[in-house]
This record gives sequence, structure tokens and C-alpha cells, in this order.
Amino acid sequence: MTSEQATYARVIRRETHSPRSGLAIVLAVILILVCAWLGTEIVLALLGRPALLVAPVDMGRGVVAIGRYPTVPVIIAGVIVAIIGLILVVVSVSAGRRARHVLPSQRSAIVVDDEVIASALARQASYAGNIDPDDVEVRVSRRSASVRIRPTSGQSVDKDAIEHAVTEMLERYQTAPALHARVSVQKEAKVGA
Amino acid sequence: MNDTNRATNRILILVIGMITLAVGAGSILLGIAGPVRSGWRRAAPDVSQQIADTFAAATIPGTSSSWLSVAGVAVLIVLVVLLIVFILRQGNGRTRHLLRSEPGEHGGVAIDAAFAEQSLQNFLDTKSELVASHVSTYQVRNTPVLKVVVTCRRGVSPKDVGDVIDSSLASLDHLLGQHLSTFVQISGGFRARMTKSTRLQ
Repeated sequence: MTSEQATYARVIRRETHSPRSGLAIVLAVILILVCAWLGTEIVLALLGRPALLVAPVDMGRGVVAIGRYPTVPVIIAGVIVAIIGLILVVVSVSAGRRARHVLPSQRSAIVVDDEVIASALARQASYAGNIDPDDVEVRVSRRSASVRIRPTSGQSVDKDAIEHAVTEMLERYQTAPALHARVSVQKEAKVGA
Repeated sequence: MNDTNRATNRILILVIGMITLAVGAGSILLGIAGPVRSGWRRAAPDVSQQIADTFAAATIPGTSSSWLSVAGVAVLIVLVVLLIVFILRQGNGRTRHLLRSEPGEHGGVAIDAAFAEQSLQNFLDTKSELVASHVSTYQVRNTPVLKVVVTCRRGVSPKDVGDVIDSSLASLDHLLGQHLSTFVQISGGFRARMTKSTRLQ
């Protein structure tokens, strides 16, 4: 069983974190296009044909001449390029957690989208408080679930009952990481039946 | 679940990010700092002349072109091939084989992944709390692992869904006579949002 547990640990770790595949593939495609273009330009220059966009020699001259360009456009371009680079560096080293939680199971490795937990909590809250499911808004983050209730005017909301129901439900789920419920009733009520 | 090498994904992003950041920072310095600017003006023509000389020193006999240009094209082609391999290696790891018994005196038994996939799928399709389900098989650390992805209706308890799937897996284990590692993903998604919530489970 230990090898299965190791497999489950690996699968769960991989399924709760982003593989960064999309971005990596986009960058690879851009890099391929740039390489193909550069290669074409070099071959055209070798054959003595006119360049597609810029001949390699002119590229070199352009780089040398940066020192003579007006400063403002160079700074602006530099800032844009640096910001893109910084974003890429941050994305590459950050954890990239997905909005998912792990459910305990004897049999399998179960991962649930936060959205599903939120909608189940919303229904539980609407039953417990006897309110319309559309008037309950639930947000599930990594460690907490916030339940916001918009009451109907003239009707009191049993906040304690809702809090109890939601907490009891989360205790039953035993998600990892554990979720802590916060119930709040909005001040502005909905006018209506 | 798949065998995508996530480390290489991150390394590629990191390397491109560092290069981009360095180019950007360099341009900002060139624009802002006077000494850097004058230094560039002084040094850049010399460096470019040196590069031109290096290229000129390695001309292919009988032509005016340089070996280095040809080498540059070769390097670019290798890079493109590596990047294509990199892209194609993403998302692999699915397998069509589930179990294979050692062939004995009376022959062996091999079970295709499709068997487990379809029997689970057929069972899950009858469950009204699920909008959709999909079962596939991946090879993880040399063992076949089932991947069950279900989309539930609004408001359905994920724990109940997990219990239903676990019990169906127990039946499958019984049927196969072997325990199968399984990963279950309970998701919401667009289709779940568009469906009615269930009154009864």
C-alpha cells in the first residue's frame, strides 16, 4: 500500500498545482517562430538575396546604434520588456496552486474544485436558513469559505443556524487544507416576496 | 496525472523570463544612466567590428560567406527541433493496457484499459447528480492509474459523489479481482453552472 500512497501523493500534488504547460508551449512556439525567421534571414543573406524584414548585418548595426536613439522610447520599451520578463520569472517560481481541495478517501485520491464545494455550501446554507439559493453567495479560498447572505426585507435570517449547518458540513468533508467557514449577513436586504 | 516534465516547463519560462528581464533592464539603464550610454557608444562599435572580423576570418573558401553563419543556422535548427520535441512531450502518459497476468501453463490474461473505463463510465452515466463523466487510464510510476473526472450538478455534495464513485470502484475491484489505483476529480465548470440544481439526490 505504501507505493500506492506515494503514487496518490504524486498525483494529488500534480493535480492541485498548475503544470505551466500553456505558457511554456506559447513561449516555445514564439521561440520557434523567432528562430525560424532568424535562420531564414541568415540563409537569405548567405545567398545574397534581399532580406524578408531585416538583414542580420542591419540587426547588428541597429543594436550598436541604440546608444544614439532618443532616450524616452528606449526607456519605455525597456520598461515594457522588463515587466514581461519579471512576470515570467514570477510565474516560473511561484507555486501555481489550483483552486482545488483534497477530500479524504480510503479507496482513491479525490480532488474537488472549489466551485463544487461552494455550490454545495450554498445549498446547505439556503436550506438551513430557509432562503432562496440565489441569495447566498459563497466564495471558497484556500483556507476559508465565506458565505454571504442577502436577506429578504422583513424576514429575519437565522445566522446561527446557517453557521452551524455550514460548519458541520465542512467538518464532515475534512478537506485538505481545512476550510474555515465565515457567515455574514448583508445589511441591504432584497425587496420582494 | 500525465507525465509532462513540469521542471522543464518552469526552467524554459524562467530562462526566457531572465533573458527578457535582462534585456529590459539593460535598455532602461541605457536610457537613464549617462555613463552607461556613453560607454555603449564607445564599446559597441568595437565589439561589432570584432564580431565582423571573427566572421570574416572563417570564410568558406571560394565564397564570401562565413562558416559561422552556417553554424548559426545549424544551431537555430537544433533549437527548433528541441522546442518541437518539448511541445510534443506535453500531456503524454495515457495507456491502453490495464492489467497483464504472467503467462502460465494455460496462457495469460491481458485486460485493456477500455474495459475498466467503459464499465465505470456506464455506471456513472446512470447517476442523475452527475452532468458528465470521463474515465481514462494513465501510467504513473509504472502502475496504471484510473482517472475519473466527473462534473456534478449545482449543489451536489462532493463527499456524496466521492462515496458513490468509491463504492463503484470497490465493485470494479471485485470484478477484476485486483485493486486499481484511482484518481477522482470532481469538477464544476461551465456545464454545471448551466444546469438545474437537483432537489433530490
